[in-house]
Amino acid sequence: MLDVGLDHFLFLSAILFIIGMMGVLIRRNLIVIFMCVELMTNAVNLSLVAFAWNLNSIDGQAFALFIIAVAAAEAVVGLAIIIALSRRAHTINVDEVRTLRN
Amino acid sequence: MGLDLDLTAPDLTLAWPQLIVFVMTVVLLFADAFVPKAQHFATLTGISLVGYIGAAFALVTQSGQNAATFDGAFRADGLTVFLSLIILVAAVATVVISASYLQNGEQQLGSDGRLRIANSVPAGEFYVLIGFSVFGAMLVAAAGNLIVLYIGIELSALATYVLTAFAKRRLTSVEGAMKYFLLGLFASAILLYGMTWIYGVTGSMDLDRIAAHLAGTDAGDGFTDPALLLGLLLLVVGIGFKMAAVPFHFWTPDAYDGAPTPVTAFMSVVPKAAAFAAAIRLFVQALEPLSDQWTTLWAVLALVTMVFGNVVAIAQRNVKRMLAYSSIAHTGYIMVGLAAYTSGGTIDDPSISSLLFYILAYTFMNIGAFAVITYLQQRGVGMMLEDFNGLASTRPLIAVAMTLFMASLMGVPPLLGFYAKYYVIVAAIDADLLWLAVTIVVASAVSAFFYLRIVAVMYFNQPDGRPLALPTRLLSGGIGVLAVATLLLGLFSSPIIDLADQWSGALTVLGRTAGQ
Repeated sequence: MLDVGLDHFLFLSAILFIIGMMGVLIRRNLIVIFMCVELMTNAVNLSLVAFAWNLNSIDGQAFALFIIAVAAAEAVVGLAIIIALSRRAHTINVDEVRTLRN
Repeated sequence: MGLDLDLTAPDLTLAWPQLIVFVMTVVLLFADAFVPKAQHFATLTGISLVGYIGAAFALVTQSGQNAATFDGAFRADGLTVFLSLIILVAAVATVVISASYLQNGEQQLGSDGRLRIANSVPAGEFYVLIGFSVFGAMLVAAAGNLIVLYIGIELSALATYVLTAFAKRRLTSVEGAMKYFLLGLFASAILLYGMTWIYGVTGSMDLDRIAAHLAGTDAGDGFTDPALLLGLLLLVVGIGFKMAAVPFHFWTPDAYDGAPTPVTAFMSVVPKAAAFAAAIRLFVQALEPLSDQWTTLWAVLALVTMVFGNVVAIAQRNVKRMLAYSSIAHTGYIMVGLAAYTSGGTIDDPSISSLLFYILAYTFMNIGAFAVITYLQQRGVGMMLEDFNGLASTRPLIAVAMTLFMASLMGVPPLLGFYAKYYVIVAAIDADLLWLAVTIVVASAVSAFFYLRIVAVMYFNQPDGRPLALPTRLLSGGIGVLAVATLLLGLFSSPIIDLADQWSGALTVLGRTAGQ
């Protein structure tokens, strides 16, 4: 039997974090970029809870709950901005929205 | 599971200033819905100003205190007081200079040569969002543990994202908000990951306990722990994004350019002050034992930021974009204060107090510059250099004020900006960072070109006779007060710097005693 320890959780969360990061840098669809950022945030949550479990302390788990709440608020603001943008620009592709370049 | 939860009632008297701002914001929410239209604007402006000034008085009564409550999560010490006062000054200035924008909306020059309203802005929501952002920034300044720090940063940033998109009918506003939002979120995730590693290694969320743990570990292996260094690096990147340091600055020009100008004034100061508050709390208070590592990182970032910001600003003909790059450059100057921190933190170490003083000076001169742009934008959207043509003959007082702000941003001797740079340079030389001190001087010389270009355009070009909507008294008065402060505050800088010295000294001394 394989013992699942702290390292496994940390590796998993690091991989998730890097996948999310690559997604933000590579993908051009706003909704997908937003999802990738959420993936990064959840990778952080996973490692926080794993650390808390390993350290036998409750702080990390409490922090994870706060992060989930903040992520919900971020989704509200983010989707509102994306909707406003798609109404003005009729696209949600980042490369097609560049009126501000000089 | 042995969880030692110490449940004692928190001392709410320490949190008075923050609570006043919070209650004021909630009152604004209700007032927005219930106050009749005739008194709507005056009432909301009044509530905001009374709230901020009341909170400032509550803060002043706290000065000299060094206490913590909520099990150490909330601190009322010198740093809280100093930074919160700066944030409140910025908040009052923003409310004052946004008055005419909120009343007249965004003006656009029609093809018939007349001004018409392109974007009207709801005043209630504007003030509420400013209130939440200020509350969040004050929380960062008062944070005693990582959770409060993060919540404060996010609260401050989320409200600012919405404010950036406030002229929602104008594509550039929404586009700027989108970039600001996505990169801000990306930075938050990186920052969080850094916090997680620090927590995982030290086993605590409390800033003082982190410092104590790090000071307790054997210098040999504690400092080379790769997990700790990874956490440190992630924190520097995350905070660097938030304070718009090069190479994490891409969002800055677009967000500053797209946002309504009063919002640009606000977001160039308050979220930046919050980011520097977070940097002081995280690095100077919690990661003080690692200062050899992070001062090097900040020194390199400061150098790149100063050079890049000033060089790119030269090429800008859009004044708002130019000021965006100039604010990046000023982030670099402020970061020198962080880089000049010397490990051990003696009382005489001038680095953190020079940083605090620079943020104060930057608040006055930068909001002032954006206030003048707000004033000029009354002649239609689009903020090019040509819009300043001949301002000295049509509006001589405004031209004088703008000249003062530009000269101060450049660092001309009797003005506030000169003293700010002077203290930072002294701190850099004290820390044996002569190359950074030289870079500040050279960068300031380069910056003279684009700051003085505005002054030249105002005084030497002919006015183009385009209409200018009447500004409110609040805006003109606000520009006047900011100009006088920029002119005179420098002369009274030594008591202010003494105050900053005592407060930051108390902070570092606290960090050391916690470490023993």
